[in-house]
Amino acid sequence: MLNNEGGFLTTSVDAVVNWARSNSLMPMPMGLACCAIEMMGFAGPKYDVARFGSEAMRFSPRQADLMIVAGWCSYKMAHAVRRVWDQMADPKWCIAMGACASTGGMHRCYGVVQGIDNFMPVDVYVPGCPPRPEAVIHALMDIQEKIRNEYSVTMDEREKGAPMRLEHGDIVSASGDVIRHVAEAH
Amino acid sequence: MSQEAQPMTDPGQEKQTLKFYFTPRQALAGELDQKNPHAKDSTFQPEVVEALGERFGDTITGVTEYASEHTVFVEKSAIVDVCRHLKEEMGYTYLSEMGTIDRFTEEDRFEVYYSLVNMQTQKRLRIKVRVDEEDPVVPSVVGVFRSANWHEREAWDMMGIRFEGHPDLRRMFMPEDFEYHPARKEFPTLGIPGSLPLPPLVSDGKLTLDPFPRAHGELPED
Repeated sequence: MLNNEGGFLTTSVDAVVNWARSNSLMPMPMGLACCAIEMMGFAGPKYDVARFGSEAMRFSPRQADLMIVAGWCSYKMAHAVRRVWDQMADPKWCIAMGACASTGGMHRCYGVVQGIDNFMPVDVYVPGCPPRPEAVIHALMDIQEKIRNEYSVTMDEREKGAPMRLEHGDIVSASGDVIRHVAEAH
Repeated sequence: MSQEAQPMTDPGQEKQTLKFYFTPRQALAGELDQKNPHAKDSTFQPEVVEALGERFGDTITGVTEYASEHTVFVEKSAIVDVCRHLKEEMGYTYLSEMGTIDRFTEEDRFEVYYSLVNMQTQKRLRIKVRVDEEDPVVPSVVGVFRSANWHEREAWDMMGIRFEGHPDLRRMFMPEDFEYHPARKEFPTLGIPGSLPLPPLVSDGKLTLDPFPRAHGELPED
């Protein structure tokens, strides 16, 4: 590790990039209903999500990489939510906060989408009506765990033109020819 | 019915300090004559009802008093004049709320109610207009009470009652291309599959018309 004698550290690029990403998630607060109040508590001083580096709510989708959908989403709002999600730059993650965002909750009716996963990908579902801020922090920690286990850089390099890559259970050459079948595709 | 309808009461009512009054249908005849012990005199104003009857005559189709609250039924052609008279001559300057009721009857299916408040005397008056299903059109009172603007838009969106003379009668809550009026009793609570499209799951994909096709007896497309 670093010390006064001009030390250094060695690590893999993946590890350091994942460390940086997971500890500086910037949430896009998609506050649609009462869950948004708990989301404010989650960001506020008492629960202090700054410990996890996520206290900076970004109201511009271009600057955010974690969308917290807090509250019930109507069919009319779904198009706006999806648009904001599409405007966020990759890599991005999503938390469906509360029963309504996850499944429609008590709003079993014509106007409310029965779970936001009907129109956008979701990484973590948080139950509760509304969930306590601790639960949202737990969801954030789950996302951090997920990020730390990703191949954030090496996968990109493989995609670009490594001599051989694994694709759907086949070893494929750079030009796209299947060299050998190794496993059943999942 | 041969036997006289008795007002229905909760058997435990004798012991309760705050008695619970409810209005089951078969007991309504007896209930109408009872005084509501919780009624406030702010809703009880026979002199206003009488004055309205003298001024507008036959266009007042009826007056009911239930639980010490007066409700004045008005012909729909006269609603704007009644509102203007109440506002300008009788001091009912505030339209506190307005909404619609689907009575689901053969005749006069829809009911539009207006709750007016007199700020000076602190009195309230309820006015109702009934319209048929075939011709659900009511003259707009936006010219008298500007606060009726969004209420009438909501009534159009949810119940499908058109307001003639409204400056901007668009849908209030549902998407503009929605074809139904969801507060009507025949509209299914869970909605009509395909009527409200969701955004596509993949970029440049097709809209999701029905997120639960299997629940509606159809197979998913892919």
